[in-house]
Amino acid sequence: MSDDIRRLSDELARDPSSLVFIQLGEELRRSGQLDLAMRVAVRGLERHANDADAHDLLARIHVDRAELTAAHEEWSTVLELAPGHLGAQKGVGYVLFKQGRLVEAERYLSAASEQNDGDPSISTALHMVRRMLHFSESAAAGTAGDTASAVDPEPPAEAGRRVEEEARRLFAEILGEGEQTALLLDASGLVTAGVYITEDGRDVAQEVGASLAGIRDDAARASAQLGLGKWASVTFETEVATVAMAPVHEDSLVLVAAARSVPLGLVRRVLLQCGRRAGAWLETTS
Amino acid sequence: MSTTQFTGLMASLTRQRGVLGCLVVSERDGIIVDADVRTGVDDAAVAALAAALYRRARLCSEAAGLATVNFLQLEAEHGHICAAGRDDLVAVVVAEKGAPVAQLRTAILQAVELLA
Repeated sequence: MSDDIRRLSDELARDPSSLVFIQLGEELRRSGQLDLAMRVAVRGLERHANDADAHDLLARIHVDRAELTAAHEEWSTVLELAPGHLGAQKGVGYVLFKQGRLVEAERYLSAASEQNDGDPSISTALHMVRRMLHFSESAAAGTAGDTASAVDPEPPAEAGRRVEEEARRLFAEILGEGEQTALLLDASGLVTAGVYITEDGRDVAQEVGASLAGIRDDAARASAQLGLGKWASVTFETEVATVAMAPVHEDSLVLVAAARSVPLGLVRRVLLQCGRRAGAWLETTS
Repeated sequence: MSTTQFTGLMASLTRQRGVLGCLVVSERDGIIVDADVRTGVDDAAVAALAAALYRRARLCSEAAGLATVNFLQLEAEHGHICAAGRDDLVAVVVAEKGAPVAQLRTAILQAVELLA
């Protein structure tokens, strides 16, 4: 048992009417003790039936237990108690997305995004949903005859597969068959588009993204601190490669890595092209 | 002004056109080892931020299996930060927009050979 869980348990034992059960339930959920977290949340709700954050906790526990319908019900209760609750909007959006109800998911995620524009998990999910909607609607329009109402939109799973493929191949045309690769990363370093395959065939895109999480802020701070204005790019050279990156859109980063044999000027040109492509792609769904 | 083992290295860099300052910093913690910067340049901030950037580049390179980072450049609207490292030490140059970056790159790569 972690120190935090022990401390919160003691606190709740001293004052069973305390709202500390929400923190305790969350800690238990994060540590994977879902049954215990559920008991704590349900017992707490017996005393605090109208507490929105308590219902939010219960909803997240349900999601972790793959009980999406129950999670949806809890988040609906949260939104009745606290209209506009960010966690509930995000949560309902997630559940609807998982259930393939893309139009409704888009509505909730949009509302969440308007409240917290800086949350990369919301913007990434919203982007995914909007691209899936785009493919669904395109498929429906493409097959629509005179009986539009009878047309089935592309199934969400198929639309999702196409979005993933589109993201993977976003830079393929620019990169061609050359010894270079490109990635689009969100503010937390998660890969939004592109691939990074090493010489031995491993896809290390996520590792590269994680290692660069925060570099956009570092570059912006360094430039601002020195009065250098907005940063345009960061390039680094290693023994075997050149890696160049630039900010894209509001919170993303595009990265190009090329073999050392590729001239630096060409790497920068490719970076510029990839940046434009990524910006346009993100713009279509913002 | 006292001389240090890095005085020669920094002199070779600060005499380049457009250079506003030069520092030797520890990559691990961003602490200044030696510095020669123009008045108005916040050397402690430059050191910390440049070390952080260099560290991220090194971690990225490790994640992608790209071997050791030799040189880093940040390009901004009104100037550049260039850095090259060896072991835990990083030589950092702050230069104005018109500075000849290709020459600076060569100079800093030569200078970094003196870091130890």
